[in-house]
Amino acid sequence: MLARIALIAGLLIVLIAVPPFLGIGWQNALTNMLIASLFAMAFNLLVGQAGLLSFGHAAFFGVGAFATLHLMGAIEDRIIAFPTPLLPLAGAVAGILVGAFAGYFATMRSGVYFALVTLAIAELFHSLAPHWDGLFGGEAGLSSMRMPWAGLTFGSPLQVYYLALGWTVVSIFLLWAYTRTAFGRLTLALRDNEQRVRFMGYNAHTTKVIIFSISAMFSGIAGALLAVSNETANYSLFSTHVSAQVVLHTFVGGSTVFFGPAIGASIFTLFAFYISEVTRTWLLYQGLIFVLVMLYAPQGIGGLVQTHIQHWSKISWPELGRAYAVAAAVAVCLTSALVFVVESFAIIFSPEYAAVRGRLDGAWPPFKLFGLEWEVFSPFTWIIPLGLLAVGLLLLPTARRMLRETWNHILERAEAARIAKSEIQLAGAVES
Amino acid sequence: MEFLIISTLNGVTYGLLLFMVSAGLTLIFGMMGVLNFAHASFYMLGAYIAYTVATTINFWLGLLVAPILVGLLGIFVERNLLRRVHAYGHAHELLLTFGLAFIFEELIKLIYGDFPVNYSMPDYLRFPAFTIFGTDYPFYRVFIGLVAVGMFVFLYLLLSRTRAGLVVRAAERLPVMAESLGHNVPLVFMGVFGTGAAFAGLAGAVAGAFFPTNPNMAIELGVIVFVVVVVGGLGSLEGSLAASLLIGLFSSFAVGLDWSLAGLLSWVGLGDWARSVGGLFTLTLSSISGTVPFLLMLIVLLVRPAGLMGERN
Repeated sequence: MLARIALIAGLLIVLIAVPPFLGIGWQNALTNMLIASLFAMAFNLLVGQAGLLSFGHAAFFGVGAFATLHLMGAIEDRIIAFPTPLLPLAGAVAGILVGAFAGYFATMRSGVYFALVTLAIAELFHSLAPHWDGLFGGEAGLSSMRMPWAGLTFGSPLQVYYLALGWTVVSIFLLWAYTRTAFGRLTLALRDNEQRVRFMGYNAHTTKVIIFSISAMFSGIAGALLAVSNETANYSLFSTHVSAQVVLHTFVGGSTVFFGPAIGASIFTLFAFYISEVTRTWLLYQGLIFVLVMLYAPQGIGGLVQTHIQHWSKISWPELGRAYAVAAAVAVCLTSALVFVVESFAIIFSPEYAAVRGRLDGAWPPFKLFGLEWEVFSPFTWIIPLGLLAVGLLLLPTARRMLRETWNHILERAEAARIAKSEIQLAGAVES
Repeated sequence: MEFLIISTLNGVTYGLLLFMVSAGLTLIFGMMGVLNFAHASFYMLGAYIAYTVATTINFWLGLLVAPILVGLLGIFVERNLLRRVHAYGHAHELLLTFGLAFIFEELIKLIYGDFPVNYSMPDYLRFPAFTIFGTDYPFYRVFIGLVAVGMFVFLYLLLSRTRAGLVVRAAERLPVMAESLGHNVPLVFMGVFGTGAAFAGLAGAVAGAFFPTNPNMAIELGVIVFVVVVVGGLGSLEGSLAASLLIGLFSSFAVGLDWSLAGLLSWVGLGDWARSVGGLFTLTLSSISGTVPFLLMLIVLLVRPAGLMGERN
């Protein structure tokens, strides 16, 4: 527990102290990271804790953003006076209201039906918003300006970052506090055995609507922060891509661990910022990472970290190190082969390349990748990725066997320790 | 009258197209409990494969190759990916297919670009089937409808009149019992998944030549198809046919009607007030025609949560 508090405090200090020394690009990226983290955490209240898989959380994210822009517009036109740092409250209110309404319908069903209804609710907004000028600004969307307040101009990205940081930290703390309340326990119970919750006299539907609204409220805050940061929003905020991103972030990070979604969201947004200038294929890699996590590490990154911490004392590090070294070699081989092929294809199939070919009467000019020139039909070009692929595939069974055996040993030791402990307790009980 | 008949015809053909895709989805869900998010991607892949074959070799060969390749892909997905996560529960299966849909879309964008491709029917199919009220009704729309009807008849006969259909229905109702009687239930699941994917691929190959073929077609149709299966009742073939036609007709009529809430309120003398308020009151039905299916779904959920013909909740 102490170690955890120290870790969180250290992380907070880094988040507060480092950004002033970074460029504007990184400051913006960090703001987006905070927003995505909060959104994923809010989403996970519903998915990880209540066990309700939503595919339409973009609805509440977007509603929060639009509500905030309306409030910003009113402040700008001097219709009302409102402190700029409290703008996300508009998102929270809009989120909880729309969430209660949508949640009432969606939670009438469970399982895949629930997922479909939430998807349809987001689509409802997505199809309605471009035609509703008054509320969503039509296809162009709404724009507004951050007004200065109490000597703070909110003009620089750094000030916006600190605003987002404050709201994110407070919101995530509230989400954590929520899990410690009796209602938080009821949320988990609802996920594990809804029938039993009903037997105990709780109204399952009302409870679900409340949980849904709270999740929507925090999603609304995240959307509001995006509106404050971008000063604009349009109907594309309601698109399935936004809903899809939060699902990807949450499950890659790990929905069973409290901070998992924030981990996933941070890794993906920072990686996207770093890589998306280099490659157009980032979304493809994102999808591949998600599917691989679903297939081989269904607990996500957070779950993997948690497993290691849990069995820390039982791990024989030399054995695990050897297994991880082989696995890393396999991963490097397969990843570089894949990246080479995908990036080459991205160039060869691009409109720019087709235009060049048109000028050269259909000839296939060499393409530039990783600082070198490659001939399209030269076997030499494809021998490298194919060789890497072959090495990776050859080593793959070995890596999998080593990982499986190592972890079996660790789990056996943990089990043995557990049994020994219970035997000691039993002996103590008999003696006394 | 002209509007009525043309809209009905368009609605029915669009509804039949929806049915071609939703039939496989609802069958797979009914049997395996897996809601396949990648199902609409199979539709998209079908269109792109058919486009590739049609531009290099022949249009009709494309219609043949697309369902076969997509069906094989479906079999691969079921056998090598879905089975692996089956132990983690339905939510994980759903998430896996969701990730696959994401990958398929990005792969298509990688190879064909993020814009529509020029996939169209051969010129000799470009003739009017009949002339009505002075406008020619394209033969190809009728062709799409005929393919869908043929598919429904084929599926219905297969499921209700053949021994294979009997095994499939047994595997759906009581998988454990069917397995103890010596039927290879995993093989049946794989077959159903492959068939469903192949039908979606065929639908894409046929419809892609008439409607635009672009990387967004999967997600656009996919959402509507989900609405269809919820309205029709998950797992019910007849229900999904009824819901497809219903949504096809609703959408096609909504496009042509400029009704609004203000117009409705003017019947009780509140029209001017509503128009002065604006917002939701003055939105015309035609401009929100994309919204109609979702509203319909919410109404069905309120009135009859199991769907039109669904039995299970």
